[in-house]
Amino acid sequence: MTTTAIDRPADTGGRVIAVTRLHFANAVNTFVVPWAILGAIFLMNLGIWAIIIGVAATESDRADARAGLSWSGSTGFIFIWMMVLAIQAVTLTFPFALGYSVTRRHFALGTGLALGILALLYGAGLTLLSYIEDWTGGWGLGGRMFTAVYFDDGGLGSRLLSFTGIILFFMATGAAFSAIYMRWRAWGLGAAFVLLTLATGLMITGFTVTSSWPAVGEWLVDAGQTGVVAWSLIPTALCAVLGYLVLSRATP
Amino acid sequence: MTAAIEVTGLTKRFGKMLAVDDVSIRVEENQITGLLGRNGAGKTTLMQLITGQQFATSGLISVFGESPVENARVLRDVCFIKESQKYPEDFAPKHVFATAPLFFPRWDAELAEQLIDDFRLPLHRRIKKLSRGQLSSIGVIVGLASRAPLTLFDEPYLGLDAVARQVFYDRLLRDYAEHPRTVILSTHLIDEVSDLLEHVLLIDDGRIVMDETAENVRGSASAVAGPRSSVDAFVAGRRVLHRDDIGGLSSVTIPGLGYDDRLAATAAGLEIVPVSLQQLVIRTTSIRAEELETSA
Repeated sequence: MTTTAIDRPADTGGRVIAVTRLHFANAVNTFVVPWAILGAIFLMNLGIWAIIIGVAATESDRADARAGLSWSGSTGFIFIWMMVLAIQAVTLTFPFALGYSVTRRHFALGTGLALGILALLYGAGLTLLSYIEDWTGGWGLGGRMFTAVYFDDGGLGSRLLSFTGIILFFMATGAAFSAIYMRWRAWGLGAAFVLLTLATGLMITGFTVTSSWPAVGEWLVDAGQTGVVAWSLIPTALCAVLGYLVLSRATP
Repeated sequence: MTAAIEVTGLTKRFGKMLAVDDVSIRVEENQITGLLGRNGAGKTTLMQLITGQQFATSGLISVFGESPVENARVLRDVCFIKESQKYPEDFAPKHVFATAPLFFPRWDAELAEQLIDDFRLPLHRRIKKLSRGQLSSIGVIVGLASRAPLTLFDEPYLGLDAVARQVFYDRLLRDYAEHPRTVILSTHLIDEVSDLLEHVLLIDDGRIVMDETAENVRGSASAVAGPRSSVDAFVAGRRVLHRDDIGGLSSVTIPGLGYDDRLAATAAGLEIVPVSLQQLVIRTTSIRAEELETSA
């Protein structure tokens, strides 16, 4: 008696793309809901801007108001939303995909591709909206939602990098912690947070003891918004690699 | 005959818990094998090991001649339907059936549609809002329509009513006849599936305690019934698996009877009753439990 050894192609590319398509199978959470929320927030903001500009009596009051409007956290939810999508991709879609006989490696690659595409699409969308905001003088009211102070208002490349980079950072950290959860469950996640807290504490202590806070501040100012996002690509990449390695031995 | 699965000395520990204990089995290709055993006996873990979802502590697993662990060449021919399957957030059944063909190269969309009708599964309702039975029917449909050369069903019918379970058994048999494949079915409803099974694996406490063709299992024991004195005389010196006494009547289950035994029993005015697969499984597992208690 022998065992069968049929010549079977692995079809790595096909399996990876299939995983990517799996993430986009239901557009409700990936596209419909976030853009609907963004639209609703935008409409509310329009109303608020109109009221503020309307009640400002003098030109100098209006200038004050516009300065105030440059601070806006209206788009913040997008980054958290993207983090939640990455978390669900690992905690729910991973066990589902393993049920579809997908290997962990193909799942990780396909998921990385899907999240990358999603980040680029949202980065491009937000960049486009930031330009429209510029061209329309803040939607005709001096309002600022996509060119708020902490986003780069430089050229196309830096805007795109800025939005996409922040999204990727949130996705990668969410995915890495979820991978830790999938592999070691609650205790692993707890230990990871303890380690992270310790590391942050050590860093803060280090900066304080060596009196290097001014240097840190200078470095942040020198790097600028785009620079900081560019540097964040390092922890983002580390989280992605860590997530991949951890997930490659995780069980559903 | 060729083996779809060969497992040698397979052990899986979760901390101190021994879920699968030195298991060695061969599952022949294109057969329906029943993986039977009590809750917590190790059925699900064994199937997760065979499909590469869990990592073995020690031992060898070969599926279609190769290790299944992280092996896409093997896994794309494997479909594992388990009772506790998780689904992505906000998926409806239609999303499951739209994506399944991406992963199962032999997916039969027509069969899937027919099964969706048979089970009256609402396609657009969110999976979170489905009943337990409807949730199970998603798994059953994927398992059948994927036509994977190795298909494993782990308690696939939870919450399905008797009619739906019969639909599952009928469809499984019909499709299996047209497209032979290796099927492993783990179940509690042993008598319901006993006609389906060609081979029986019984696992208890992580160990395989029965590995037989279904035919052999059925012939492996009989019950002799009649007046207590005649029964006692007949079973004297034989191994008794189980005994029921009601008034002056007894029914005793004993291991396989030969032709001469049967003649002798009939001559003694005793009735020979076949023992159902379920009864045999209960006897085998309870005897093991007693043996363990006395040896401890």
